[in-house]
Amino acid sequence: MILGWRLTDAERREWLERLLGSGRRVVAPTRDGGLLLFRPIASPDEAVLDYGNTRWSPKEHLFPRAEELFSYRLTADEVKLEQRAPDAVEQVLFGLRPCDAAGLARLDSVFLDGAPDASYAERRSRTFTVSLACDSARPECFCTAVGGSPGGTDGSDLQLVHLDGSWLLRALTDKGVQLVETVSALWEQATDEDWAAAKECQRAVEEEIARTPLAAEWAGVLDGAFGHPLWAAVGERCLGCGVCAYVCPSCSCFDVDDNGSAFCGTRCRLWDSCGFASFTKHASGHNPRPDQPSRYRQRVLHKFAYYPLEHGSFMCVGCGRCTVLCPVGLDIQQTVRRVVEEALA
Amino acid sequence: MSESVATVASENAGAVAWEPRIVALVCNWCTYSGADMAGTSRRGHAANARIVRFLCTGRLDPLFVVKAFENGADAVIASGCHPGDCHYVQGNYLARRRLTVFRSLMEFLGLDPRRLHFAWVSASEGIKWAATVDQVTEVVRALGPVGRWAAPPLEGLEQFALPEPDAEPRASTDTAGLTEQLREAAAALLAEGGASVVLGYAEGSLPGQRVPIFVTEPAEAARLVWDESCAANLTVYLPDAVRRRHGDGKVAIVVKACDAKAVTGFLRENQLVREDVVLVGVACEGVRLEGRLAYKCYECAEGVPAGADVVVGEVAAARATAPDPRDAQIAALEALEPAERWEYWQRQLDRCIRCYACRAVCPLCYCGTCVAEKNQPQWISKAADGPGNTAWNVARAMHLAGRCVGCDECARVCPSEIRLDLLNRRVAQELQTSFGYRAGLDASVPPPLTTFRPDDPGEFL
Repeated sequence: MILGWRLTDAERREWLERLLGSGRRVVAPTRDGGLLLFRPIASPDEAVLDYGNTRWSPKEHLFPRAEELFSYRLTADEVKLEQRAPDAVEQVLFGLRPCDAAGLARLDSVFLDGAPDASYAERRSRTFTVSLACDSARPECFCTAVGGSPGGTDGSDLQLVHLDGSWLLRALTDKGVQLVETVSALWEQATDEDWAAAKECQRAVEEEIARTPLAAEWAGVLDGAFGHPLWAAVGERCLGCGVCAYVCPSCSCFDVDDNGSAFCGTRCRLWDSCGFASFTKHASGHNPRPDQPSRYRQRVLHKFAYYPLEHGSFMCVGCGRCTVLCPVGLDIQQTVRRVVEEALA
Repeated sequence: MSESVATVASENAGAVAWEPRIVALVCNWCTYSGADMAGTSRRGHAANARIVRFLCTGRLDPLFVVKAFENGADAVIASGCHPGDCHYVQGNYLARRRLTVFRSLMEFLGLDPRRLHFAWVSASEGIKWAATVDQVTEVVRALGPVGRWAAPPLEGLEQFALPEPDAEPRASTDTAGLTEQLREAAAALLAEGGASVVLGYAEGSLPGQRVPIFVTEPAEAARLVWDESCAANLTVYLPDAVRRRHGDGKVAIVVKACDAKAVTGFLRENQLVREDVVLVGVACEGVRLEGRLAYKCYECAEGVPAGADVVVGEVAAARATAPDPRDAQIAALEALEPAERWEYWQRQLDRCIRCYACRAVCPLCYCGTCVAEKNQPQWISKAADGPGNTAWNVARAMHLAGRCVGCDECARVCPSEIRLDLLNRRVAQELQTSFGYRAGLDASVPPPLTTFRPDDPGEFL
């Protein structure tokens, strides 16, 4: 029995209004200039829910582009360290695509498993995710190749499905239930037929995506192909910018940067990318990944070999943003298939 | 750092009323001595300027000015020896050109030009120095504090819409024939030893996507394509491809007329030897981005790159052109109040995620270590926030001043759709009006900011 409701568009709006009025920050796809991005919204009308995907993933709301860890100041008689007070507001990521929600689940495994990262954990505990199942596919979509689906629920507390002008809302976690508990009694329960119709719609989108899944055992094949000469050819095109990593819902690498003087300054955590030459450059000047093909290989292998060998799932959720936004059109999924094909030949 | 320094400064200011904070970047030989002269001759002046001494204004990097503002300055004075008096003969002439361009760029970004003051003050002009400091202090006092040197909040701000062109000068053309000719030309080059590799465009994995390809076998030449989606400037690969394949043979590259200007840039800056490359010029009727003619193509009259070794196709003799739509867009922005322009650009720059794709695709951004990566000292904050993004984008535009060939690759690949092309073009306009200079046309003309004329304009000084 699925816990869920069928909402009219007016009810969906009203719920969003209620969330906005509850003191929570609602972060939804909205227009910033010509770009669709996840930004805090002020009214339900600002949320764009009829969309393909945002320019980059909503990860910046949990793992900011630049985050001050602490500031320091030297005075005549003391060194003063000040930690930025954590933002105590609860936030709702509203209307994110299942691939982006799955991306958050990947970030959770990086930042919360083992020794949890304090600031990520802090934000994550106050974040609710309401995903929005896809009713159409874009040419770059390949979630079905990496274990996801247009209606995937990984990383979602609640999921919305747009169905014939109304909305199905499904509670997936206790947090999700918490987000609707004051209003759900007013809503109509969704029926088995509704869910069947939603499933049918998602099956159609899966067909539209039409990707053959990447096999789990390819992680081992790729790992074994570390020294394959093909890497030099596939990585030759890579120009070494950070677009792929920065728009990626699952990339989690960061740099720690001290910005200031001997007297005052801040220590910041900033996004970083394995595609940059400086990522692995040692203080001595030696760089264990001396050229762009070796850095590109690291990106591919981390996502499709090292991470899955350790955690079982790919570190890629198939949103396809990197393929669209790569200045030279590198297609990571195609690279994986090509290397595996060559390695097995 | 900016925030902390600003905090310290504002706390120090604390109880007393706001006073303009002015940073004066002065040369050791003239203005510093001039300031000394004001002191020794007991010439009083406003105590608002903090002097930073340099050996020469020629050392004055625009980033110093940016850093001063970032750290809470309300105005910056830059001052050195009078023309002809430079201790190092030409440092102040070079500074004059650099500051001319920098000033126009900052003004375009929305900084009130009254906050950026340039003056020639000699060692004997203590009175002039005192008057300059007094005058700037009064002007800035009237203007008030500089405000936030960072992006404004997004709420409630309407995005300013730039004017778009009504009609395109040229329609789409069928390029299937050109693709065939290109493949034949490339296969011939590879088969006959004319080149060891041909750098061209191939189909990408997404519909309409064109991606770079390195073709080394004649049979592979069939993968080459040419059409109006081939927007990328492949010359970004050129110096490195030549270095890596040195001894194997020449590197052939498919270029449009705009791309070929970057080759001129490489030759001028000794990044390339012309004999190492084979330029395969294609007749281009314009490239299209998401269906619309790229702005850079409007006024392009060339069609076929000058100096190509192999030419594929031909362009119509009477080729329609139209004014570049960016000129109207720049004019529209310049018609705004400085504060509105500042807001426009800060909103744009706030989106910068510092992926450095603009740098990666730029053929002329070839430095081994970019200034953005230097951290001792760190002139550009690595943080993707208002101050860091402003410093980075100003530095990028200034480093390309007179070197940018207008291929617009930076703007094309920017995931945040920041109008970097407008910044580049505004700088190019300034170089043309002030120094009569256009980039990418002649390899024998030195970059405009590495040279000077004694009679260069400098009315703002």
